[in-house]
Formats: sequence, C-alpha cells, structure tokens
Amino acid sequence: MQKNNLRGYVFIAPFVIVFLVFNLYPIFLTLYYSLTNYTGLGGIGNADFVGIDNYKRLLGDKYFYQSFMNTMTIWGSSFIVQMGIALGLALIFSDLRLKMRGISVFRALYFLPNIITIASVALLFSILLDWHHGSLNQMLLSLGIIDTPINWLNKPLTAQASVSLISAWMWFGHTFIILMAGISGISKDYFEAALIDGANWWKSFINVTLPQLKPIILYVLITSLIGGLQIFDLPMLLTDTRGAPNGSLNTMVLYFYNQAFKYNNFGYAATIAYGLFIITVVFSLITFRTMYRKNAK
Amino acid sequence: MKRIIFAGVMLGFVLLLAACGGKPDLTITSFTDELQDVIDVFEEKHDVTVELQIIPTEDYTTTLQPALESGDGAPDIFTGEIVYLKQWTEQDYWETLSQEPYNVQEWEDDYIDYVWELGKNSAGEVKAVSWQTTPGGIYYRRSIAKEVFGTDDPKEIGNIFSTMDGLMEAGEKLKQHNYRLFPDEGSVQVFAQGQDPQPWVNENNELVVNEARLSYFDYAKELRDRQYTALAPAWSPAWYESFNGPISYNMGWDEIDEDADVSDQTEVFGVALPTWGLHSVLKESATETAGDWAITNGPTPYFQGGTWIGIYKDTENKELAFEFIKMLVNDAEFLEEWVSETGDVLSFLPVTEKIKDDFSDDFLGGQNNYEFFLEEAKKIDASIVTPYDQQIGDLFGTQVGNYVEGEMTKEEAIAEFYSQVKNAFPDIIVPE
Repeated sequence: MQKNNLRGYVFIAPFVIVFLVFNLYPIFLTLYYSLTNYTGLGGIGNADFVGIDNYKRLLGDKYFYQSFMNTMTIWGSSFIVQMGIALGLALIFSDLRLKMRGISVFRALYFLPNIITIASVALLFSILLDWHHGSLNQMLLSLGIIDTPINWLNKPLTAQASVSLISAWMWFGHTFIILMAGISGISKDYFEAALIDGANWWKSFINVTLPQLKPIILYVLITSLIGGLQIFDLPMLLTDTRGAPNGSLNTMVLYFYNQAFKYNNFGYAATIAYGLFIITVVFSLITFRTMYRKNAK
Repeated sequence: MKRIIFAGVMLGFVLLLAACGGKPDLTITSFTDELQDVIDVFEEKHDVTVELQIIPTEDYTTTLQPALESGDGAPDIFTGEIVYLKQWTEQDYWETLSQEPYNVQEWEDDYIDYVWELGKNSAGEVKAVSWQTTPGGIYYRRSIAKEVFGTDDPKEIGNIFSTMDGLMEAGEKLKQHNYRLFPDEGSVQVFAQGQDPQPWVNENNELVVNEARLSYFDYAKELRDRQYTALAPAWSPAWYESFNGPISYNMGWDEIDEDADVSDQTEVFGVALPTWGLHSVLKESATETAGDWAITNGPTPYFQGGTWIGIYKDTENKELAFEFIKMLVNDAEFLEEWVSETGDVLSFLPVTEKIKDDFSDDFLGGQNNYEFFLEEAKKIDASIVTPYDQQIGDLFGTQVGNYVEGEMTKEEAIAEFYSQVKNAFPDIIVPE
C-alpha cells in the first residue's frame, strides 16, 4: 500500500518539479521584484526594498491605463471582425441546402495565415502599408479612391485598425475550424426539424445554431481574450517598438517590455506584470461566471 | 522494418547534429557585419574558427544584456555602441583591460583622447577600446552639385552649407531641379543640437533641453512642409535605395497628374552621416552612384555613433579574445589594410599620421576624406555622452515625428516628451 503511494508521487514528480521551478518560483520572484527598485543591472543584490511604492505608481500611471485601453480596443475590434467572418463562413459551409464542396481545401487555406511567424507577417504588412512606397497606397491612388497617400502606421486610428485587422486575418481561420467542429457536433435532427417546421435560413441560425454553439463561442472568447491581453509582437514589430504613433499601439505587454528591457525598471515592470495578472484573473472570473450561469440554465 | 527506418532516420539526425555542432573557438556578438572582414583575416592568421553573431541594432541591448547579466549564452567578445556604452562600462560585463595580462594602458598615447576616455569606467579602468573615430559631415552627389550649384568642390559646397539658412536655401534650389536635399528630416537633428552641444542629463540629474535641441522641431517641420526631403525614413529600405538613384515620390495625386514619369520620382542630393556611414551605408547601398560622392561640412561639427569592443568577463578564451582585439585595434599593419578597403577613419594615431596626407577614396571621387574627418575629430567634445543617450534620444525623435506629422502641436509634443522621460527614468528631474 505504502509502496504504491510513493510510486504515484514519482509519476507526478516531473510535472510538479517543472511547475515549481518554472511557474511558481518565477511568480513569487516577480512578486518580490515588484516590491523593489531592481534595475535589472548588476543583480538583485543592488536593489532596495521599496514596499508598495511601485503599486502606488501603477495606480496613477496614465501610460498603464492607456496601454490597457489600447489592448482592449485592439483585441475587441479584432475579435468582432474575426468572429463575424468565421461565423459567416461556418454557416455557409454547414448549410444543408448549399451543400458546399471542398471544405477541407478552404479550411487549410483559411488557416494558412495562422502558421506564418508573426515576424514575417509584420514585415509583409509593413511593406504593404508603407507610406509612399507601399502597394496598398499605390493601389488606392491609382484607383482614384484617395488622392494623397495615407500613412497607415503613423496615425493612431489607422495604426490600431491595421493591427486589429491583421490579427483578425491571422486568427479567423482558427476560429472558423473550431466553429465548424462545433456546428458538426450539433445533431442534424434539429436542422431537419426546423426545416420541416418551415424555418428559413435566418430563423434556424438564431434558434438552432446559435444556442447550440454558445459553449463553443464562449470557449473561443476566453482563449482569444487571454491571448488578446498579451498582444505584443505585432505592435512592437510594426512601429518603433514603443507603441508609436502617439502611444496608440502601446499595449500592456509592450509597456511591460519597454519598462523592463529598455528603461531598466525591472521592479516597476514586475509591478506591471502583476497588474496584468490581476486584470486577466478578473476577466477570467467574469467569463467563467457567465459560462457557469449559462450551464446552470 | 519500420523500426529500422526510424533508427536510421534518428542516426542521420545525430550525425547531422554532430556535423553542425563544431563549436567555434571564439564567438563575437555585434550589431553590424563590419567585423566579418576582420574575422576572416584573423581566422587565417591564427587557424581558428570565429563566429560572428549579429543582433540588429534596435534589439541589441535588450537581447544581449540579459545574456550578459546571467552569463547564459554570453559571447567571448562583444561590441557596444556609444549611446549605451557608458551604461555598460559601469557594469561588470567587460573584462578590465588596464591590468595584467593585458595592460592596454600602455597604448593610451596612440589614440585620439576622447575615444580612449570613453572606454573607461568611472574608476578609470579601461573596459572597452575602439579603433575608430566618428565625426560627421554631409555626403553629397557630385553630379547633382555641378548641375544645381555649378560646382562639386567640397570647400564651396561646404560654404553653402555653413549655416542653417544656407542649408535651407540649398534645399529650395535643389527642389526646383526636382532633387531633394536629404532623404528624411533626421539629417538636420545633428546640426540643430550641434549649435549648442549639451548632454541630455547634467551632473545634477536634470534633463537638459536647450533652444538648440528644440530647434530640431522647427527645422524638421520646415524640411517636411517645404518638401525638401524624399520622405524616406532613416534606415528604411527606401532610405538605402535613395542613395543609389531616383526613388518614387509623391506628396499627392495632383502632383503626379500630368507628367507622371518625371515627378513621381525624385533623387536625393545628400545625407548627414558620420565616418562609418561611408563604408557601412553608402558603399554597401550606393553601388550605382559610386565615385559620384563627396564629403563636406554641415552648419556645425558633430559626431555620431562609434563602436567599442571588449572581452566578456567570464569567457574561457581570454587569451585568444585579446589577440583579436589587439589585431583590430592595435595592429598597424592590419589597420592600414583595413583602411584601404573600407575608408573607415581610425583613432589609432600611428596609422592615421602615416596615411592622412595622401589618402584618397575612389568612392568619393578621389577625395581625401581622412584629412577632412581628422580635422573634424578635433572638435569632438565627448563630455556630452551620457548613459541615457539612446533611450532619451529615441523618445525625443518620436515626439518630433508626431509634430512633423501634424499629430500634435509643438507644445503638446514637448510636454509628452517630458512626461515620457519621467515615466522611463523616474530619477531624472524634468522641467515642469
């Protein structure tokens, strides 16, 4: 009996050790850093303990609030676009009457942007969106849609929109596949029953597909939110790494990165990380509660 | 059978890894490939293999610094640029070279003073050394100068450029001939602050923003509004392309309406770059226009950049690493050859004294750039270098950009700059 117990611990040991060393320890170390003025230079020994000074600063830091709002704007608009496209496509491909062919080909095509590394995507779009030499402006100019080139990545609104749309473009295929899986999991009986009852396309979407799909949509929402709160690479690579123009691409993780590695305020950066952590926990709690309530119903 | 194939594939991988895994004798990290030629010579001379890791400038400190702090993945030798040099010399990253067995302090008299001084930490220990000096000027196209100003003589062009007003007038003349003075607005920054050079942060830890620095806002705006630039931001592909011939240019639909072939293209006249700009920018990208360039002075003297090099403190190859540095910085025979290939301006006096009088560079139409730059190097005051230069300089440039783009008024941009400096460096006292 005793022997068996020990054996169990041996089996879970790899996970527990990795978790303790690479997850739990850094979490507490970051907490400790956030209470110091550690600069990241010359070891933690050089830093002083400053108590909750960093947290006080965080609460009054307009750049942190700015980064939060930017993150939410970019993620929110990207999610709406991506969900809209994915849902629309999923409906077309799952419609019994349309009988679309070649689904696997389209699925692969739509997923393609997701497997390109973000660095390449950023490079690609910075060339496409270039002010005077980019293809997009050249195209719009020659079609006569605009009469001066638009500096896409240099105006706050268009810069945010660009990042949103690029990440929507990268992720709609992923969402589409998950939604398709969800829709194919819905029993055909419902749709046939709706068809016999005379429901048109829209009614069967509202009354059958959407309610049955809610858990899947919620799942996509949560994973997308957690990813979206950490958006970093596109804003960093598309601009001056500081979130230009005018701080509009300064996302939370980008702000954290700049404070830590550019300005050498490791202590304060750790505080920002904890701010981000708390925000993520709050959002997760809200979504989990909503999900729980939905299930209880 | 499957198992045999699998085993075979795995064995193949192992062999492949073993073949690739030959560890170099020396690893050098830098932000440009300019050391590759040096490495080739060194490898041959010592029969060793040296690996050059290049990290792009914009990621250099953020990538390398954690490696230096932890010692994990640190190279044997690494370079540092002037804008963060002072931060690094104070850290325990570079081996102290002014001690046994290196004793580089004995070399001191052979170098331009400021270059040697900047490599020392506050305790006076030499942490890094450099082979170059980096005064700047304006490189310009001779053929365009002849067409627009009637001469391509560096002295006469230098006279035209000797004041900011003169520079702007030249911009107007060039524009009338469908040329642009500079590729982007950044070229005037050095001359704006060159009117009254001050460190970004003074000894009282106060941010210094004088009139000269602020004038960059106005000059940059003037250049943009009067269309004296080719709208090719520094270090962008278009910027490099602009040195090689005509580039596409349009401010608006109206301008390209009638004679699209002519006016949607423009050619750049010149660019403000320091010594190293010749071999690491112009010679690399301006292959079509080689020989058509010359160097002259701008409104004020200035210096920009400069690479220092040192040995990582915990490397196991200190001896070989020092041999490399000795060759790059203190080997007269090698350096003479290096200069004849690159035109880089050295800080090593035994060589510069020997070659300065009859030096000429074919790329610059046979001009003696050495004579010009060594004279400019005497005007360098390195006391304005601070550990903050890169970050504060970047924050400032971003705000000037916001103003030039019309995103903000000048007052808003300056206030935002102060606010961002305060946010990045809470210890620095910024003007209210």
